[in-house]
Amino acid sequence: MTKEKFDEADCKKYIGIKGESKVAHMPLEKDSLRRFVQAIMDTDPLYFDEEYAKSTFFGNIVATPLYPVHAFRTPADGSDRLNALQTDPDLDGTDSMSGAYSSLPKIESPFKRLLNGGNEITFYRALEIGEVCVSTPKYKNVELKNGKSGPMLLVTIETEYKTQSDKLLLINTQTLIWR
Amino acid sequence: MKSYVYEDLEIGHQFPILDKGRISTSHIMRWSAAVENWHRIHYDYRFATEHDKLPDVLINGSWKQHILIQLAKDSLGPTSWLWKMKFKYKKMDVAGDSLHGIATILDKQQTSEFGFITLGLQLVNQNKETSTEGWSISAIPFKGGVLVAYPFVDKQEYSLLRTPISE
Repeated sequence: MTKEKFDEADCKKYIGIKGESKVAHMPLEKDSLRRFVQAIMDTDPLYFDEEYAKSTFFGNIVATPLYPVHAFRTPADGSDRLNALQTDPDLDGTDSMSGAYSSLPKIESPFKRLLNGGNEITFYRALEIGEVCVSTPKYKNVELKNGKSGPMLLVTIETEYKTQSDKLLLINTQTLIWR
Repeated sequence: MKSYVYEDLEIGHQFPILDKGRISTSHIMRWSAAVENWHRIHYDYRFATEHDKLPDVLINGSWKQHILIQLAKDSLGPTSWLWKMKFKYKKMDVAGDSLHGIATILDKQQTSEFGFITLGLQLVNQNKETSTEGWSISAIPFKGGVLVAYPFVDKQEYSLLRTPISE
């Protein structure tokens, strides 16, 4: 249920909460990576040419540095997120708690519109073909601010991404802006 | 893609522009589908303009971050390691905008094994407006030095490196 009022005390309740680790339902596949790099228009042969990849310090075809953030897709037997749009035409199609953040408790607030406020990322290793990504998110900060267009809720989520064999890939700190 | 060593690079150097051209609704849809992002402001014109009062469907912030990453990675070449990156969205980009990335060297620093290059990163539209900007720090070998370690491991001395934010 959406909360009508949201104040500093509500913010503090969420700070520091860590979600359960989520495991991507599929390992990285060459075809998923093909679609991905075509969509960002990155023709680096590291992402599709095995011979080239062997000549680099990676030694294998790997995903783009930030691919792990997008590794958490809906499994074939998962609930269809678009179902809700069939009964409520005003929904915006987002599910802020989907993907890597799904294990965090949803912040119940009166804010409806979501914008991406930016990221800080530290990279350690690239995801290889056949590896499964695991994410562990936590609410690093939750605060109310007043912007030019009125009040907003800034939510900072720090998510650690590893392989299933516990190799650290990256740490992504993302700021979400709810208005 | 050119590879560099630390000694090749000077503060103020600007790398070749990464030009992505005009981003159509089809490009936006291709990205949204690839990452299963169903946020309607990226593909539903009526919802974007009438419900959310936006000027048009928006180019995804998540797409733009990958362009800045590609810019940082490709500017310094395959023997470098993109270690840290921070960026912020300053302005919306909409369908039909033409976008290109600009990378400029802001700082150079040395540690015992590698050099570190700080780049200023900008995503700019056809009106020369910057919609997304940030910085990155990449490890890069010295001339005749050891290759950058992979996987990359943080060391105590790296915590002393300057970032654009800390100055």
